[in-house]
Order: sequence, then C-alpha cells, then structure tokens
Amino acid sequence: MAQLRQDYHLFLEKGAEILVVGPENRSAFAAYWEKNDLPFPGLPDPGHHVLKLYGQEIKLFKFGRMPAQVLVDRQGMTRYVHYGQDMSDIPPNEELLALLDELNREID
Amino acid sequence: MPKVAIQQPAPDFELQDFRGRTIRLSDYKGQKHVFLVFNRGFR
Repeated sequence: MAQLRQDYHLFLEKGAEILVVGPENRSAFAAYWEKNDLPFPGLPDPGHHVLKLYGQEIKLFKFGRMPAQVLVDRQGMTRYVHYGQDMSDIPPNEELLALLDELNREID
Repeated sequence: MPKVAIQQPAPDFELQDFRGRTIRLSDYKGQKHVFLVFNRGFR
C-alpha cells in the first residue's frame, strides 16, 4: 500500500482511481489509513460481499489466495488480474502504469 | 509483461468507505479506470 501511495499521483494522471477493498471493519480501516496516510478510498467489506462477488463471478482468485488486483477500464471491463500467494506478492506499479498507458492509447 | 486481459464486465458493487462515503463501481464508468485492490489483512 505504501507503494501505491507513493505513485498515486501517477495513477491519477493516467485517469485511474485506486480502491482498496478488504474484510476488515470500518475502524480497522480508519486506523490503518490514518497511520499510513493513504490518499485513496478504503472500502471495508466485513460481509465479504464484494470479495465473494468477484471470487464467484469472475473467478479472479480462489479464497485463501488473496491479495488480488483487478484493473477495470473506463468501459467497465476487466483488463488485468493478478493474485498473489502472500501480501508481498503484488504487481509493480510500473507494470500497471504501462498498462494504463496502453488503455489510454486505445481510447484515444 | 504478464498481462491477463480477461475482458469481462466487472461486477458492479456499492460499498461505503470507512468515512461513510458511498462508492459505486459503475459511477466511474466513462470517467476513470479503476484499480481494485483486494486486500487480505493489514500489516
């Protein structure tokens, strides 16, 4: 998340918002966001509604195999998915930012 | 670069962020790309 915070302005420049969804409750999110000064929205999903929705409908990840990242383009289509074996297994921002450049070229 | 362009409509959802603001995925349609991060536990 520190990695995303650091490059958040680049995501914004490329027309992307970052949304973080997790099973923790609202107070846990608030504490973590305050501690780490995170600029993007944090979405508590303690009922696992969205986590299940994505797990079931898109089969992006199997439960127990999170975290997962999904890039949704402006048209609402999924364009990228990655899931990791542990919390440190996350795609580098460079890869995501390059993909955003590709999406922006398509749209233009 | 490993890339999975799975090209499906992303399931819409609505959640409140921890500040109480309602966020709906479809509100970004036509406006912004959205990078969704599904987190498991804070470290």
